[in-house]
Amino acid sequence: MSQHPRHSAMLSISTSNSNLANAGADKQQPSQNVSTPTQSSSPGLRVPSNRKTIYDRHLNRSRTAELSRASFAFLFSEMVTYAQRRVTGIQDLEKRLNEQGYPLGLRLLDLLFYRTMSSSTSSSLSSSSTSSSPPNRPLRILPLLHLIHGPLWRLLFQRSADALEHSVSPETPNEYMITDNDPLVNTYISVPREMSMLNCAAFVAGIIEGVCDGCGFEAKVSAHNQPTEMWPGRTVFLLRFGDSVMEREKVLERAGVR
Amino acid sequence: MSTTKASRIGEELWKTRVDKINAELVTLTYGTIVAQLCQDYDSDYNEVNKQLDKMGYNIGMRLIEDFLAKSNVGRCANFRETADMIAKVGFKIFLNISPTVTNWTSDNNQFSLIFEENPLADFVELPDDGRAQDELWFSNIFCGVLRGALEMVQMQIEAHFVSDVLRGDDTTEMRVSLVRYIEDEMPPEEE
Amino acid sequence: MSYYFTILSPSDAPLFNIAFGTSKSGGDGIARFRFPDSAQYMNQFVIHSSLDIVEEAQWMNGNMYLKHIDTYPPAAAYISAFLTPSGTRFLLLHQPPQPPSTSSTGGSSLLSSSFSGASSSRASSSSVAANPTSPQTEEAVRQFMNEVYENYVKTIMSPFYRQGMEIRSPVFRTKVTAAGRKWL
Repeated sequence: MSQHPRHSAMLSISTSNSNLANAGADKQQPSQNVSTPTQSSSPGLRVPSNRKTIYDRHLNRSRTAELSRASFAFLFSEMVTYAQRRVTGIQDLEKRLNEQGYPLGLRLLDLLFYRTMSSSTSSSLSSSSTSSSPPNRPLRILPLLHLIHGPLWRLLFQRSADALEHSVSPETPNEYMITDNDPLVNTYISVPREMSMLNCAAFVAGIIEGVCDGCGFEAKVSAHNQPTEMWPGRTVFLLRFGDSVMEREKVLERAGVR
Repeated sequence: MSTTKASRIGEELWKTRVDKINAELVTLTYGTIVAQLCQDYDSDYNEVNKQLDKMGYNIGMRLIEDFLAKSNVGRCANFRETADMIAKVGFKIFLNISPTVTNWTSDNNQFSLIFEENPLADFVELPDDGRAQDELWFSNIFCGVLRGALEMVQMQIEAHFVSDVLRGDDTTEMRVSLVRYIEDEMPPEEE
Repeated sequence: MSYYFTILSPSDAPLFNIAFGTSKSGGDGIARFRFPDSAQYMNQFVIHSSLDIVEEAQWMNGNMYLKHIDTYPPAAAYISAFLTPSGTRFLLLHQPPQPPSTSSTGGSSLLSSSFSGASSSRASSSSVAANPTSPQTEEAVRQFMNEVYENYVKTIMSPFYRQGMEIRSPVFRTKVTAAGRKWL
């Protein structure tokens, strides 16, 4: 029998998980359920006697919490130093920092949406909308870029990014640039001279890449030093979207999706 | 110096002298570091604890300068004062928390820090692999930070966690012991 | 109403699933699928067959909650979908109870005698317990999905969670069960 690969993947979980039986058994013994909470009787992690787990902590609890910049700088430079020990060359190091940022991008994306949903009065993710309706998933490149330039940057750095541009070259319509004049990750990090080409914002590039990929916009994101007299740490994040994204973009354009 | 005075100094410094940043960026970055170590060391959690301690030690050696410059406090008269300074000023100005100092030994050489809050552990659930809750000390970087920082002010200490709510314990407690004062290497400008 | 809820990764790997029955209108929360022996297989099959529709709707409509998106008449199964911004899909299959001729057994008459209020709302064709496509049901499912999403975000925020990892936490399961009881 030929099975759709998708279907066989779905069935793989079923043997390890006898949900039907469990669901029934739990319900039939309600009194026992109350006296012995499921956490203690089933496998899984131990929890403190107050039973507090990550599920009991409100996701907005640390929304406005602050720590010292110095603590971030110390941690981040240890992260770079550690990464440096395990790679050869700057490109490798930037790749590794990018990879460490990537899963953060996926997490922040969901955290951002959850927060926008849960706050009845606050700003919506799309800059145009002022209603408190649930946020929309970005379907086109432009709303995605606005999401990164605005809400993502504000969550991470408490301000928006400084510029958002589209490549002017007809050769590279898939390239976009987000500029940060004074990236926090470079503020306290002193790069050794032999690594002057290194940009630690590769970590942030990874975060951006995670957000793009998460939303279904396959992209490669890199960080580039572009100092000006006024902004010696100025960094441009170059986003290059994949062909499939650009093709879908055309289809959605024709279909009137925005 | 009394505990309350140390708390007051810590509060004041936090309000006036500390550049601040979104706490979640720090929390998430630290989580990334620990998860990366677990991956690189193939979930050898004892090794991960060691690496975290080592990173903390490097940080501590540099952080003490920042601490002294900001706090502008003099030398502690004894280890009890040092403990208050760590808990009420040090942790306050870097992480905006003030762990409780308690469980002193009678010779005043050992105490515990109890962390009611720990921003590093926000959002964290340890891997459910049957080992992490017995072997990994998620916030072990703190031990290294204390060791490194105090060594720079002529105190050799030993620090380790004895419990962690992430492991299912009711408290998060670190034990700190004074090994010795490093008299010989005291820089000339210190009295 | 019987429910089968599943979470699929962006690449369709199953991350979590659970079966339960309605708790509304005096329901006892136990799933009673029409084909009990093959329910697990059937439910997964039906959900799988709705994925193409989900993928199409995903790019036409930016909402996270896509409401009722598909029906599978042979099993009288209805599918509702919720998409996280990071591409994870929450899919809820609902199957209304058997037609009255087969379901009016001693159990339900006992219910109606002790809970007269419940039995009257059960008769309503728009109730969450009976009608999978009524506005009330759409709203209840939305609430359920939102509550699961909150717990899902808490799961993935942990630094040790990696995309595509099965969600095995018993606490998470408890939370989903509670959300089902509360809204469905």
